[in-house]
Amino acid sequence: MRRSFVALTACLTLTACGGGTAGGETSGDASPAGQAASSATLTIWADQMRSATLKPFAEAFAKENGIKAEVVVVAQNQQQTFVTASQAGKGPDVLVGAHDWIGNLVQNGLIEPIQMTEDRLSGYVDVARKAVTYDGQVYGVPYAVENLALYRNTDLAPEAPKTFDDLVATGRELKEQGKVKEIVGYPVSQQNGQSGDTYHLYPLYTSGGGHLFGTKPNGDPDPADLGVGTPASVAAFEKIAALGEKGAGALKRSFTSDNSAAMFAEGKTAFLVSGPWRLADVRTAGVKYDVTPVPPFKGGGPARSFVGVQAFFVASKGRNKALAQEFVTNTLASDEVAKALFDAEPRMPALRTALEYAAAKDPDVAKFEAAAKDGVPLPAIPQMVAVWQPFNALIHSVVKGDPVEPAVKAAGKAIAEQLGQAG
Amino acid sequence: MRGLAARHAAAVAVTAFAVLPIVFVVSAALDPIGTLNSATLVPRGAGFGNAVKLFTTTPFWTWYRNSLVVSGLTAALSVAVSALAAYAFSRFRFAGRRAGLVSLLVIQAFPQFLAIVPLYVIFSAISDNWPEFGLDSVWGVVLLYIGGQVGVNTWLIKGFFDSIPKELDDAMLIDGCSHTQAFRRVVLPLAAPVLAISGLLVFIATINEFLIASVFLTGDDARTLAVGLFGLLADQRNANFGMFAVGTLLTAIPTVAVFQFLQRYIVHGLTAGAVKG
Amino acid sequence: MTVTHGSGLRPGRHGSPSGSGGAASGGGGARSGAGRSRTTGPGSTAATLGRVLALGLIVGVALWAAAPLVSAGNRLGVGIVAVVTAAALYVYLSPRRLPAKYLLPTTLLLLAFQVFPVLYTMSLALTNVGDGHLGTKQEAIAAIEASSVRREAGSAEYRLTVAEQGGALVFLLADPARRRAYAGTADGLREIGGATFGPGGRVTAADGYTVLTPAQAAARGEEIGSLSVPVDGGAIRAQGLTRAYEGRATLAYDADCDCVKGGNRVWRADDEHGRFTAPDGGALPQGWKVGVGWANLTAAVTNPKINTHFLGVFAWNLFYAVAVVGLTAALGVAAALVLHHPRMRGVRIYRTLIVLPYAMPAFAMLLVWRDMFNTDFGLVNRLLGLDVDWLGTPLTARASVLLVQLWLGFPYMFLVATGALQTIPAEYLEAAQVDGASAWQRFRTITLPLLLLALAPLLVSSFAFNFNNFNGVFLVTAGGPFPSDNPTVGATDLLITYTFRLAFGQQGAQYGLASAISIYVYLIVAVISVAGFRRTRAFKEVR
Repeated sequence: MRRSFVALTACLTLTACGGGTAGGETSGDASPAGQAASSATLTIWADQMRSATLKPFAEAFAKENGIKAEVVVVAQNQQQTFVTASQAGKGPDVLVGAHDWIGNLVQNGLIEPIQMTEDRLSGYVDVARKAVTYDGQVYGVPYAVENLALYRNTDLAPEAPKTFDDLVATGRELKEQGKVKEIVGYPVSQQNGQSGDTYHLYPLYTSGGGHLFGTKPNGDPDPADLGVGTPASVAAFEKIAALGEKGAGALKRSFTSDNSAAMFAEGKTAFLVSGPWRLADVRTAGVKYDVTPVPPFKGGGPARSFVGVQAFFVASKGRNKALAQEFVTNTLASDEVAKALFDAEPRMPALRTALEYAAAKDPDVAKFEAAAKDGVPLPAIPQMVAVWQPFNALIHSVVKGDPVEPAVKAAGKAIAEQLGQAG
Repeated sequence: MRGLAARHAAAVAVTAFAVLPIVFVVSAALDPIGTLNSATLVPRGAGFGNAVKLFTTTPFWTWYRNSLVVSGLTAALSVAVSALAAYAFSRFRFAGRRAGLVSLLVIQAFPQFLAIVPLYVIFSAISDNWPEFGLDSVWGVVLLYIGGQVGVNTWLIKGFFDSIPKELDDAMLIDGCSHTQAFRRVVLPLAAPVLAISGLLVFIATINEFLIASVFLTGDDARTLAVGLFGLLADQRNANFGMFAVGTLLTAIPTVAVFQFLQRYIVHGLTAGAVKG
Repeated sequence: MTVTHGSGLRPGRHGSPSGSGGAASGGGGARSGAGRSRTTGPGSTAATLGRVLALGLIVGVALWAAAPLVSAGNRLGVGIVAVVTAAALYVYLSPRRLPAKYLLPTTLLLLAFQVFPVLYTMSLALTNVGDGHLGTKQEAIAAIEASSVRREAGSAEYRLTVAEQGGALVFLLADPARRRAYAGTADGLREIGGATFGPGGRVTAADGYTVLTPAQAAARGEEIGSLSVPVDGGAIRAQGLTRAYEGRATLAYDADCDCVKGGNRVWRADDEHGRFTAPDGGALPQGWKVGVGWANLTAAVTNPKINTHFLGVFAWNLFYAVAVVGLTAALGVAAALVLHHPRMRGVRIYRTLIVLPYAMPAFAMLLVWRDMFNTDFGLVNRLLGLDVDWLGTPLTARASVLLVQLWLGFPYMFLVATGALQTIPAEYLEAAQVDGASAWQRFRTITLPLLLLALAPLLVSSFAFNFNNFNGVFLVTAGGPFPSDNPTVGATDLLITYTFRLAFGQQGAQYGLASAISIYVYLIVAVISVAGFRRTRAFKEVR
């Protein structure tokens, strides 16, 4: 009996595989008829948190339109999985994700532009609008904005530091007095501890005078103008190195986003550079805190933090594009839903009216908004893939105390080579 | 007496090496402040807050059930399929036998997860025709895992079959039994140890697998422990080490149970095949 | 079936060993002939029944499997089902003792989930497939044109109502500012009277048109998406089901010149690289998949950026696998020996505790170890009072991944060694002791060789596993630390983690190149595992 059963399952397997090669040719004429007959299912992909938030809205939309809706949790590698699945015709209709995926998804032809009037667009905060605009087209409906700011323990440091140098001085003083263990909780390393964290270090890099890419006339970053390896970038990293392990000891590779927040929550450091996602932890810990923008270097430029925008995308290869557009541009973009989304999960809304509503409910939202003033959207161009790894490694080398100039030049060269290769 | 003391000292040292990281995980699981880097060997308070949070904020038991089903099915079926093939390789002499054995080894050397894209193509075609075995289905992934492990298991089991005297099943054949009967009534019972150990190995490998599972089992109801727990730590923004630690300890339970259940076969199974002759 | 046979055969089983033992060829042959004739009666009935069952099952499954393929008109699929069914019928209905009866399931599984993926990967290696080059040229053109549709600046947004007239789709468009209604079809736009406006200014009813319910409209989504209503200088298209906008495609493909034109620029198709390029060197982002011949395979060998590291990574990979096997075996055997003493107490407790790491989920413990190595917060430094930058320098990072793998792997070796020690006959050791051999001599000449014999197959399979131990490195160091002058290859990278990053890493997916490299990795691993098994007794029996 077992033998037959095994044979049976094996049988299926191979025949299934056979279907694979031919499936692509035939699915085109088979699916639409079948789809139209039964009621359509709108499929939405989101991460764990977002899916719980979105479920009620998707269900309400489905009910209203007499269709079905399904919110699927994609826990890891969302972008990669979306690309693979869409290419195989198994992708969703709507994707919830970060705006910096746009460049890659557009070059793969997997998301649709979204047409909105200037009026409606101006309802969004500027940085969010810029973030979802790529090559002059809007590709996503923004709903939440996130950026870094400085958390300060007001018991330990009542005054907000004007410059990062002040911050280090205060932190050091507190450390010498034995009130804290570390000068600042600054996430230098990614969660895996193995490479530097470009996202968190970017404010210091820009305040020191560095930049990643220049800007094209249409507002997109210009990959032809690479800022890493220039004298300005070397100067910026010299300032970072001065704070590093062989300098002031404020920046250390052992700090990740996680342990920095833990240090702050336990009162072992007076400062923490992090985003609004840490608010809940900090509040639970009961530390008295305030939120201000990340301060610039003394005499330096503004410390620009990267702004990440969560957005809804309409998949090009989805089966229910019209429904998806309807859901994304009308339902999700509405004022009521944006407010309800904030109530469900406190993230700074991208829609101005919802932002006012949120700021009135939670003063910290306004503080993060203030910190976003100097922010720039995380570059969405696909060329960013060439930057991450070399730049992350560069951060580690510099903070560790390796000679700055050769490291910066080498990283610049590695990025340029990668860009040429990808070009 | 001094010899014994030295032995105890060494044994304690090795045991400490083995156990300390686990103690650390236990402590983190109980520690109410569930952060990775502040966790200590001795928890600063014991509570089941992390466990409660794990059970209420994540579909942990669904992950658990999925992992048990996937790993259990994969282990059982893969051992069954491999044992059949191993029997043919061990007891039959046929054209292409040697080539078959070598190609098993060669084919198996390709790590499945490097072929995610081709596998996705297969699965999307399966989903179109037989959704029961397609994406987000436990059965589909089980078949995939079996396909990835059947070669190694066939080798392992064949080696053991070779050590069972052929005269035993010859005697059965002489008495008019079919090969199938000889296989079922003589070879299989004698090979229980190796079947147990290969089952355990597959079980452990499967319950730990997350690269393939994270691509093919994305649905809310389909995720496994490895994917779910990895998500708890991988999410930069909401990493919760305490919950992760609770999940880790609970994940060890089925492995320990299977291990205990198969233990009487295992030590024998690992060695008997090799020490023969 | 079992019962009848069992009772019938019992006497024969008692008799056979003596008979077959002495005269294997002659007597045995005769007996087996006799035996067969004896069981023909009941055997054939049962066997026939079994065959009928098998026939039913195979045919049933085949029909079930073929049904969706037939309805989809998938001829290749049906063909494969037919071939597999025929093979299964032949194998399982044949009365002969075919080894294929036992091999078919394995063969089918391997073909589907190992052989096909390997071949497919090889075919990918001959293309430039990767981000920006995933689909066909048609798909790229469609994406280019779709994403080039721009809204006319300052143009009004229409409120859309989807309706039909005689089955044909019509857009009922309301201009909220002017409270006018229009009907739009592929032929153009015309104003209509007698329309009723609802809340939000949408048309809710119009003479001569049937307004579709949302569900009906949703069902015709594809039609809605492709309908464009031509107007001066552009077209009106739907944006969802309730809004429409006036826009214009700024890029268009021209088949005559095989190029994309837009404004006053022209991008010509470059079928060698799979993208549209302008004379100034700029390219449109959407490309397509093209064959590149052996370029990827040769690049992996000739490109100095790749091949210089390939050797270094390969050497470390080899060292890693050997060291892990050696260390785990050494510690496992040592621990087993320590506990192997007649007067040793608490052995059971020690044993249970030492085996624990093996039972813990490895993926989780690897992550735990990773964080235990943190310089300032990690348990290792805190416990030992050290300030070592474990994962930050190449040497310590390598030591760390070895230590982690030692922890994960030695309990298994310990288990096996414990078992093997118990099988070593005590007489050997006693005899040696009587002959005056020292404890060390006894260990070296008797215990160790026997232990190694028992461990040999395990060592080989452990080597094969660790050579490709993706999790063991990726979860602990992710391949790092990375030198700042070459951030693509880290100090602890194995071939497999390196390849994985190339295919799926932060650098953007380059499946073509990654496939080429994974083929090389595959060849290396295949050669090593064949060579490894060749050295063990297991392989000799293959001949």
